Amino acid sequence: MDWAGWALFGLVATAALTAAQITAQLAGLTRLDFPLVLGTLVTEDPDRARVFGFFIHLCAGQGFALGYAATFALLNRATWWIGALLGTVHVGIALTVLLPLLPGVHPRMASQRAGPASTAVLEPPGLFGVNYGIQTPVVAAVVHVIYGVVLGLLLQAA
Amino acid sequence: MTSGSDTRCPRPSAPISDYGLLSDTRTAALVAGDGGIDWFCVPRFDGEPLFGRLIGGPDAGTFRVGPAGPATVVERRYRQHTATLETTWAVGGSRLTLTEAMVAEVSGRLLPTTLIVRRLSTEESAVDAVVEFDPRLGVRHRRPRVHHRHPAVMCQWGSLAVSLGCAPNLTIEPGRPALITVTPGRPVTLVLAVAYREPLIHVEPAWAWELLTEDEDRWRAWSAEIDGSLPFRDHVVRSLLTLRLLTYSPSRAPVAAPTTSLPEDPGGARNWDYRYVWPRDASIGVSAFLSVGKLDEARGFLAWLLHATRLQRPRLPALLTLHGRDVPAERELPGWPGYLGSVPVRIGNDAAAQHQLDGYGWLIDAAWTFVQAGQRLYTEAWRAVRGFADVVARCWQEPDAGIWEVRQTAQHVHSKLMGWLALDRALRIADTHPLPNRQRRLWREARDAIAAEVRASGFNPATGSYVRAYGSADLDAALLILPLLEMDSAESPRVHGTIDAVRDGLSAGGPLLYRYPPGRDGLPGTEGAFLPCSFWLVQALARTGRRVEAIEMFQTMLSHASPLGLYAEELDPATGAQFGNYPQTLTHAALVQAALAIRDAPVDP
Repeated sequence: MDWAGWALFGLVATAALTAAQITAQLAGLTRLDFPLVLGTLVTEDPDRARVFGFFIHLCAGQGFALGYAATFALLNRATWWIGALLGTVHVGIALTVLLPLLPGVHPRMASQRAGPASTAVLEPPGLFGVNYGIQTPVVAAVVHVIYGVVLGLLLQAA
Repeated sequence: MTSGSDTRCPRPSAPISDYGLLSDTRTAALVAGDGGIDWFCVPRFDGEPLFGRLIGGPDAGTFRVGPAGPATVVERRYRQHTATLETTWAVGGSRLTLTEAMVAEVSGRLLPTTLIVRRLSTEESAVDAVVEFDPRLGVRHRRPRVHHRHPAVMCQWGSLAVSLGCAPNLTIEPGRPALITVTPGRPVTLVLAVAYREPLIHVEPAWAWELLTEDEDRWRAWSAEIDGSLPFRDHVVRSLLTLRLLTYSPSRAPVAAPTTSLPEDPGGARNWDYRYVWPRDASIGVSAFLSVGKLDEARGFLAWLLHATRLQRPRLPALLTLHGRDVPAERELPGWPGYLGSVPVRIGNDAAAQHQLDGYGWLIDAAWTFVQAGQRLYTEAWRAVRGFADVVARCWQEPDAGIWEVRQTAQHVHSKLMGWLALDRALRIADTHPLPNRQRRLWREARDAIAAEVRASGFNPATGSYVRAYGSADLDAALLILPLLEMDSAESPRVHGTIDAVRDGLSAGGPLLYRYPPGRDGLPGTEGAFLPCSFWLVQALARTGRRVEAIEMFQTMLSHASPLGLYAEELDPATGAQFGNYPQTLTHAALVQAALAIRDAPVDP
């Protein structure tokens, strides 16, 4: 396994994913904001949360990149299309498992069961994250495929 | 103890003000004075109706628990500062009491997301009662698949399931009224649980009753935190409770009303779907809750406003769904008879596509109120406010649909005034938040240009009043917000002239006002007095040194409330009947604002 490639390219791929997601957000395609959602795990100040969240996201991206790199090593090949396939699986798990579970562990995210005592200010993402905009699943899929393609291409070149 | 009957109980339509509100802050039910839940959508305020008799007729389902024979309501009230509704009937020589609520706090416990608890009790002698459980889902009144699974009856429609349990045990057949006898010391408790895309959770009636009383304690504690110096405190607390009950907790969005198509003109076509969120209501809510010491609620509304509007920014949508998505296009429901024959029954709302300049003013004023209270806007929030102010500075000269959402655009004076408010409050916020000089200059120029144009084209010197639209002689009760703006001073003849002209020219008797000359909106039919306007009049009077008049009017308006202290959107001045969707967030928010204005007004010498 290419450890140096994983260390460097994981960061690059996560940065690409984040950039694509922020672009989609600014274009009004989704309200999903990974740095904000992750950063509010540690602080309620959205300005600081985005900073913390960006680094948490980088770390998480690095963790997922380990899985991608290991898969490429097992298959003994790294290509853009295998990366895209892995990205599709990745986003499938994120939208159907990780996001819906988030209200259960996130201290500042309400759930669909929230009542008047709830002071959580982040609304629940809902099924496939559609509460953050109907196009959220598409945006999430595209940025994760980008992540996989970038990793596939860079690890192939390495 | 029980016997069945094959026929549904015939029931006349109840007046709108006869209905009580049950809510868990996720969805709501309306209960008539005879104990019938005639409106209840699942799983959210804007979901499909499970009981829709209110506007869908007998085929749309109901859940009635009440006296089996002739009875008279002798008392109907919410338990003090709670969301628990209590109805007592005189039946023969005895009394029967129905106590009911929805359980709001279900987080952290194995409970269904939606739970209605209803208890019948008597203290004197045995009373015959009826339980009519007839759930019909959606626009086609779909009947459920029914299973009897001890101790409850279960109804299923695909991913939705509903169970009804009872203690003492009672065999309930959906669609067939069940007769029961309630005896002293042995109350009958019914528990309706709803599961949507999740397993049904059965709740023992005794435990459900405990949950209801726990919720009561929470609501009392919530109410106790409200400023004790408020005038007419009990009425204001009821309005604040209603506002909170109509706020969807998962997103903190205040729904305009939990109903659709309750008519503004009985028998007419002015029937609209209000189960959505108007940024205007949320903005007024920020100010109302902040002013009574409820920072969390105010913060929640502002957070929702800024989060929900993100996709369309910098444009501010006129209305949104509970989760900030696009409102479905308006469509009519064929076959629905409507309330008192008012058709068409509509779902969805086409006003969502309108350009309404006033919304920007409400929103930025809410942000300013927040800043005034010593809070700071985060970078993202301030960026959003700047974007909205830029839109106003750029587009204020365009015609819009205005606050009343008329379907032909015009140069509405109220909209221009609210545009002025948007820029003025944005400039005030900029005193403590970073803003480039060029942007500041643009806003200031636009603000001053609006004031100049409105004074030149939106004022009628002959009547000494601002008017509804440029070139029009019509009045507009929305202009009563004038003293709040501080564009003209509160002592200005323009302000006093406008208040007096609106009060006289749009009077529907006493403090009641039409929002504009009736029928002047391009729609067929007419409408009643618009209740929020009366509270705006109270507010305007209090703000312009006429506190005594304001108090008198406020007291009169309180007498127009439903017996439970609730208000719809409109009232028939001739009969006193309430019309329009019910209960209405805007009316209750305006009531709170009026009370606050009275509180803050200097005592007349």
